Amino acid sequence: MRKNGVKMIKIKAKDVDVFYGKKQALFNISLDIEENQVTALIGPSGCGKSTFLRCLNRMNDVIDICNVKGEILINDFNINDKSCDVVRLREKIGMVFQKPNPFPKTLYENVSYGPTIHGMAQSKQEMDEIVETSLKKAALWEEVKDRLHEPGTGLSGGQQQRLCIARAISVRPEVILMDEPCSALDPIATAQIEELIDELKKEHTIIIVTHSMAQAARVSQNTGFFHLGQLIEHGSTDKIFKNPDNKKTQDYITGRFG
Amino acid sequence: MNKNKEQLLNKRYKAEQRFRLYGLSAIFMALLFLTIFIFKIFSTGYSAFQKTWLIVPVTFDAELMMLDQNPSKEDLQDADYYDIALKSMADLDPNANEDQENELKRMVSYFFEKEIKNELLNDPYLIGKTKEVYLTASDDLDQVFKGNYPRDLPEDQRRVSDYQLKIFDQLVANGKVESKFNISFFTNADSREAELAGIASSFMGSIFSILVCLMIAFPVAVLAAIYLEEFAPKNRFTDFIEVNINNLAAVPSIVFGLLGLGVLLAIFQLPRSTPLVGGITLSLMTLPTIIIAARASLKAVPPSIREAALAMGASRMQTTMHHTVPLSMPGTLSGTIIGLAQALGETAPLILIGMVAFVNTIPGSPMDPAASLPVQIYIWAESAERGFVEKVSACIMVLLGFLIMMNLFAQIIRHKFEKKWS
Repeated sequence: MRKNGVKMIKIKAKDVDVFYGKKQALFNISLDIEENQVTALIGPSGCGKSTFLRCLNRMNDVIDICNVKGEILINDFNINDKSCDVVRLREKIGMVFQKPNPFPKTLYENVSYGPTIHGMAQSKQEMDEIVETSLKKAALWEEVKDRLHEPGTGLSGGQQQRLCIARAISVRPEVILMDEPCSALDPIATAQIEELIDELKKEHTIIIVTHSMAQAARVSQNTGFFHLGQLIEHGSTDKIFKNPDNKKTQDYITGRFG
Repeated sequence: MNKNKEQLLNKRYKAEQRFRLYGLSAIFMALLFLTIFIFKIFSTGYSAFQKTWLIVPVTFDAELMMLDQNPSKEDLQDADYYDIALKSMADLDPNANEDQENELKRMVSYFFEKEIKNELLNDPYLIGKTKEVYLTASDDLDQVFKGNYPRDLPEDQRRVSDYQLKIFDQLVANGKVESKFNISFFTNADSREAELAGIASSFMGSIFSILVCLMIAFPVAVLAAIYLEEFAPKNRFTDFIEVNINNLAAVPSIVFGLLGLGVLLAIFQLPRSTPLVGGITLSLMTLPTIIIAARASLKAVPPSIREAALAMGASRMQTTMHHTVPLSMPGTLSGTIIGLAQALGETAPLILIGMVAFVNTIPGSPMDPAASLPVQIYIWAESAERGFVEKVSACIMVLLGFLIMMNLFAQIIRHKFEKKWS
């Protein structure tokens, strides 16, 4: 979204280095992410794009040997600062994973889990409403409204992924991180999710890691290209795909390597 | 070239066939041993579930019992039953001399006086009348009747005399010997007399020990496993702990018995021979088993579930308690039951803490002295009397039944609560 033609920056990464033990996985990444836009991160396997994504909600904390340096400002607040509370951070920044990972509980419990632990509903009705709106926004409501109390693991792969999206948006996060959300899905389910992403960007800032250049071109407004832990180039998707500055980007996009 | 290839292929098929044959013969061997074992136990043990009774006419002579007219309940309690009991046995052979009368008395259990007393307490109007009363046969005659006792041994090598056999055969011919289901095997505590010995004390002792063991080992082990798996940092110290938990699982059980003896009995002065001490000792032994099972099932919960919960903003504690632990419970529980089944069959540590003592009372709480089933087997196997041989096998059958039930329960839990994830 642009206000008076000025881009609103939601996330500002400054000189981010990531180490796994002694091995450096990301070098000096500085990247601005615009609000209410879809930003795609592309690059060959092992280039660090997922690692960068996981920096944004501090999921790398889970990995003992992982060490993140540098500043990541979200709403001008450095999330790598000691005063940052990860639980509250992750309430604001949702995540959808590569493999659909619904809890082995009912559909209803899956979606209501976040609002429950964050105390977002005062009554059963309020919770029902949150579950319904989340499922509607995830374009899943019509398919599942009659079986909310059946296990979420009984859905098809594409439905499971949309359930995971519904779960992520149930706490109304400002940012949604998507780590190759369509890599385990067939083309029809992929198309549904892409449509959904387009819809979601009205209310959320979306960052999506993808292996499919076509997908990046279809869904995103901005693109960042990673290679060997470096951010080679970033800019509007149009420019990256049509007229990249860097030779490596050009080669990757035209399929000459990767 | 082609021929070579064919030969090679044949060789590979032959190798596979040979391997299958080895596997089948291994399974066959295992099944054979198991069958022999079970057959032996059952063929020796099944007769212990029958008990032989002698039907003896007893005259409830008020004078011999030192009772006056219209005796009260208390009088009946205090009356002297020994004389009428003795007399009714002696009457089996009117021509018996004193020695023979003694032998007649030893054809029934030491308890015969009490059995006659109970008969009268049940029906006080028997005074002055004669009634045929069921008396427990002595263990030797019991074995004779079941065909387990060789009658062709010379008399001086037998515990049953020719005279006793003669009278017994007469009784059998008259239909005065009967075999009935042996209820007292399940309701009596241990006894020096094989015909009266039962498993009630050791059965209750085992149950109390297992309960104490469960109540201590389960919470401690599960908390330890959760902490180590979900919260502890991975460093040298936790590695050291992990190695030592695995070592602990391999420590011979008798060492735990020594620990129980040295610490629980000597330092903490807990009562000897009780299921309380037995249970605590067994829980030390079961602890590593449960920790290992619980950690394995925590590890088996897919990391994607943890990530999903963490990404929703759940704290580590919430992730663990809401998702990981419930998902790991089936595995933990079946591991616990397997551990308890192990503890149930444990003998050595219980012997050291004194649960091998002769206990002829049925424990009402974990603080009362008791034996346990495997220790009972050990005690009876040590006894010389022939009557205990079948009891050993019968006790093994009960123990095996108990174990099979527990394992079945573990299987049911596993199947019922195991959830499939994506």
